[in-house]
Amino acid sequence: MSTEDQADNDQDLLRRMASKDAQALELFYDRYYRVAFALVIRIVRVRQEAEDVLAEVFWQVWRQSGRYTPSRGKPLSWLLTIARTRAIDSLRASNRRPQADSNEMDAPSRVPQEDPSAQASTRIAISRCLELLSREQRVPLEMAYFEGMSHSEIAGALNQPLGTMKDRIRTAMTTLRKCLKPREASA
Amino acid sequence: MKHHESSNELQEKAMLYAIGALPEEERRDYARHLEEDGCAVCISENLEFQNAAQSLAMGLPSNTPSGAVKERLMAQVRAEAGTNVFRVAPPSRNFWYWAEKLVLAAAVVLLAITATINSGLRRDVGTLTSRLVELEDRVRRDGVTLATLTSPEVRVVNLAGQGVTPQARARIFWNETDRVWLLYVTGLPPVPQDRDYQLWFVPQRGNPQSARVFNTNADGSAMLEIPVPAGATDFMAAAVTTEPAGGLPQPSGAFVLLGAD
Repeated sequence: MSTEDQADNDQDLLRRMASKDAQALELFYDRYYRVAFALVIRIVRVRQEAEDVLAEVFWQVWRQSGRYTPSRGKPLSWLLTIARTRAIDSLRASNRRPQADSNEMDAPSRVPQEDPSAQASTRIAISRCLELLSREQRVPLEMAYFEGMSHSEIAGALNQPLGTMKDRIRTAMTTLRKCLKPREASA
Repeated sequence: MKHHESSNELQEKAMLYAIGALPEEERRDYARHLEEDGCAVCISENLEFQNAAQSLAMGLPSNTPSGAVKERLMAQVRAEAGTNVFRVAPPSRNFWYWAEKLVLAAAVVLLAITATINSGLRRDVGTLTSRLVELEDRVRRDGVTLATLTSPEVRVVNLAGQGVTPQARARIFWNETDRVWLLYVTGLPPVPQDRDYQLWFVPQRGNPQSARVFNTNADGSAMLEIPVPAGATDFMAAAVTTEPAGGLPQPSGAFVLLGAD
């Protein structure tokens, strides 16, 4: 199934959820719980809390499925936005700043383990795009996305001028955008 | 307001929004713009950068939660559906049948409510703990500042506005024991993104040494704690210049603040 077909199919599941079809939620959960959990646990770091957050994320998807519109992105993007927001809220509530271990910060993002719910080729392609980023570009990106820090907080934490920090984020995002575009176009 | 064409500024905003790096107030405004204004240009920019940001999550190693998560979720969904069923089902069963179902549904709903309240209380405790740690940290920092300001070993250097910023004022409290400068600035308007202010330590002999690159707040103020540069013993003066963003090894711009010991 192409990513577009998958997105249509996901939108259909969301429509069914809005009509209170619990089986649609079950299918949506089975399809995406691994990627959502990987994101949540990367942010909150504690398994028990990550599982609580994951349940809250899919409960929110169930309750708000009627409000989803394609202008919010593909259903998977919408799900990951909810997962990231919930996880960062949980992290702030527990007053923990994620201590990314140095190995993880230094090494390019690893190729994911086998995951039956996602197309392996897509995820390998994404990992290759992430490997195009230098450490200087990747670190501020990860501080924003995984730690919920604003550009000025990142500039302060890394002791860099705001303009420099914005430049690095811009270069990294543009690199990812260009690298991912051919894959989307061919999907 | 709808935009008619993309620009660097709009792209930057979409990019920072997608990655979650916009400050809270700007994030809310931009989200409202996307939701309510129906601006096709910004929606399109946002979707493209959203895909790029999403790749950070998609590139993570897969991770599997306990099966209990799904069970709990589906039980919650069934409990919600169960209450609806009871409202609409025809009364064709006997009293004990419905009584049993009602008690079961009530128990499930009660469990769900208890879990929600418990989760809310845990979150409140977390928020209060976070606030307490923040206040403790502020008290500690204020203690350090007070100790510096009242130390008999502190030297005070006043800096006066120069050139285009005659109204600017700054004061350096130099704690020679702890080798720390506390710099307070007022009346110095913030510089644009491509510029920075740079504080210089001017020794008796040799070239000025860079002490810190900074910018001021919207009200023209700044408060900085700066380690005294290594070898800074024969201090003659301190100065602030405007420089390209990130600063330079030696001053090139006009003085905006200048003062001697």
